[in-house]
Amino acid sequence: MKRRSVLALPAFAALSGLPLRRAAAADTIKVGMLKPNIVTVIYWIAVKTGAFTKNGLDVVEYPVPSGQTAAGIEQLLRNGINFYLGASGEVAHANSRYLEAGKPLPIALIEGGLQAGSFFVMKNELKGKSLDELRQMPLRIGLSNPSSFHLIMFRAFLHTKNLTTNDFKWQFLTIGGPEMLPAMVSHQLDGFMHDALTTTLALRANAGFEFMNSNRGDFGPEAKLVPGTGVCGNMEFMKAHSDVTRRFAQALRDASASYAAGPKENMVAIMAEWSRQDPAVIEAMYPRFDPSVGLTAAAADAWWDILGRAMLARGEVAQTMAVNDVFDLDYVQRKS
Amino acid sequence: MNTVERIAAIPAEPRISRASEDFARHIKARNRRVRLRRFIRGATGVVLILLAWQVMSQLLDLQLLLPEPSTVLRNVVSTLSVSDPHWLYGPNIYVHLWHSFLRAMAGFVSAAVIAIPLGLALGRIGWLREFLMPAIQGVYPIPGIAWIPLAILWFGLGDAAVVFVVFATVFFPLLFNAEAGARQISPTVLDAGRCFGARGVTFFLRVVLPATVPYIITGLRIGLGGAWRMIVAGEMLASQDGIGYLLMESRFQFRAVDLMTAMILVAIVGYATEKLIVGTIEKRTIEKWEVVSS
Repeated sequence: MKRRSVLALPAFAALSGLPLRRAAAADTIKVGMLKPNIVTVIYWIAVKTGAFTKNGLDVVEYPVPSGQTAAGIEQLLRNGINFYLGASGEVAHANSRYLEAGKPLPIALIEGGLQAGSFFVMKNELKGKSLDELRQMPLRIGLSNPSSFHLIMFRAFLHTKNLTTNDFKWQFLTIGGPEMLPAMVSHQLDGFMHDALTTTLALRANAGFEFMNSNRGDFGPEAKLVPGTGVCGNMEFMKAHSDVTRRFAQALRDASASYAAGPKENMVAIMAEWSRQDPAVIEAMYPRFDPSVGLTAAAADAWWDILGRAMLARGEVAQTMAVNDVFDLDYVQRKS
Repeated sequence: MNTVERIAAIPAEPRISRASEDFARHIKARNRRVRLRRFIRGATGVVLILLAWQVMSQLLDLQLLLPEPSTVLRNVVSTLSVSDPHWLYGPNIYVHLWHSFLRAMAGFVSAAVIAIPLGLALGRIGWLREFLMPAIQGVYPIPGIAWIPLAILWFGLGDAAVVFVVFATVFFPLLFNAEAGARQISPTVLDAGRCFGARGVTFFLRVVLPATVPYIITGLRIGLGGAWRMIVAGEMLASQDGIGYLLMESRFQFRAVDLMTAMILVAIVGYATEKLIVGTIEKRTIEKWEVVSS
C-alpha cells in the first residue's frame, strides 16, 4: 500500500505539472516585515500568488509590529533575518553609523515601492488654512515613530522652503498607526502623517481631510518618485547568495505584475487579509495606493535627493554618505 | 596639706577624659579606615568593570553595539556641556531631564500623598484593611507598563498619561510599606503613647508616624526608583520630550552611544534625586525622632 503511494507520487506530480525538482531545491530565506501594515502588502501578494515558490524560494516569515521599524533593522544587522520590508530611512541611519566607524556597510535597500505613499491628514476644522497659518498654531501631529518616513518627507519638503520643524509650534507625538484615528476623533491629535490606509480610514470616518498627498505632488514633484516601501537586505547574506537575492527581488516584481494583472477583487481580498481591514476600506483606498515595487536608479536618486539630503542637513547621517551607501541596485532591473 | 587640699590637688578625671578622647579618636580613625576601604573597594570594582567593558568592546569590535566607556564618557560630557554639534533630539539635555524630573515628581508626590496615609490607616484600622486589602492586592500585580494604553485612552497623549503611569507604579510600594510599618508597631509603644494621653490625630502624628518612618523611607526609596524606571517607559510611548523620548529617538537613529549616555544620565539623576529627596526626608525624620530601624 505504502509502496504504491510512493510510486504514485511522481506520476501525480508529472500529471499535475507540479515543479517537484524546483520545490525540492527551494532556498529558505528569512524575511521580516512590518505586520499588519499596508505598505508591506506586496509580500503577501507574492505569497498568495505563488511568486516565491515560482522563484524557488521558501520563506520563513518574521513579523515586526508596526511602529517598531528599528527592531526589524536590528534583526537584519544581526543577520537574524536576510531581508526586511518596511524601512528605508532607518537603513541610512544604520549604515551611517558603520560608515562613521570605518566599517563595511551591513545592509542596503535593494528594492522599493513605486510610490512614496505619504499622507498628511489634518482635522476638518483646519481646512482652508495655509501652511504659514498652521505653523503658528500649537498642533499635535501623530507619527508612527520618531524616524518616520513621512516625517522625513515632510522635513524634506520644508527644506525646499527654507523651513525646519523647529519653525513650527507643533508637537510631534509618537503613536501607533491603528491608534491615530481614535486619537484624532477624541481630539488628542490635530493631524497625523501616515500611510494610505490610515488616511482612508480617517477620510471615511470624516475625521479629517487630506492636507498633503505625495502622489498628488504636494511634497514636491520629485517626491512622487520616492519609493515608499523599502526592501532591504543583509549585505553579507546578499554577497554570499546573490542568486537567491535576485530571485527574491524578482518574486516581488512578479507579485507586482500579478497585482497589475490580477482581478481587483482578488487583490482587495489579499490586501484586506494582510492589513486585517474591511474589504470596503481597501476598495476605498485602492486609488490612493499601489503596493507594486520596481526600484529604478532615478527613484533611488530621488530618494537620496529628498530624504538623504534632509537627513544630511539635520546631521542624522554622515556628511560623506552618498546614495550608493544606502542602495544596492545590482539586484533589480535597471529601468533608467 | 589637709585632706581637703589633698583631694583638691588630685587632677579632676584626667585619665577618664583622656581615655574617652582616645576612644573617640580610635572610633573616628576606624570609621575613616572603613570608609576608605569601602571607597577603594567600590572604586576598584567600578574600574574593573570599566576595564572589562573597554577591553571587550575593543577586542570583540563591538563599538557600534557596545561603545567603549571612554567614548560614552566623552559623549556624556559633550551632552552635558551642550556642545554636541550633531544634537538630534530637539531641546538640550537639561530641558529633557527637567521635563522627566517634573513628570516623575508629579507622579511620585501624588502617589505618596495618597498611598502613605492610606497605608498607615490600613495598617492600624482592621476593618478598613479587611475591606480594601483584597482589592488593592488584586490590582497590585498589574505591571506599571500595562497601564500605558489605558492611561493614553483616559488622559490622552501627553504629560498626564505619563504621570499617571508613574503614580500607578509608585503607589503600591509606598502603600504596602506604610501598611506593614503601621501594623508592626509594638503594642508597648502604642500603650506608652496612650498612657501619655495621645489620642486621635496627635496619637497618629506623635506615635504611629514616627514608629513607621523606617518603613515609609524604604517605600519612598523603592518608589522613587520605580518612578524613574516608569518615566522612561512612559515617555517612550506617550511623550515628545524627556529622557525616555531621547532613548527612543536614539534607538531609531541607531546611536548606541547616545542610548548609553541617556541611560547613564537617568542613573545619575535617579541617584541624585534619591539622595536629595529620600536622604533629606530620612534626616528630618529618622534622625530627628531617633527612630531605630528594626
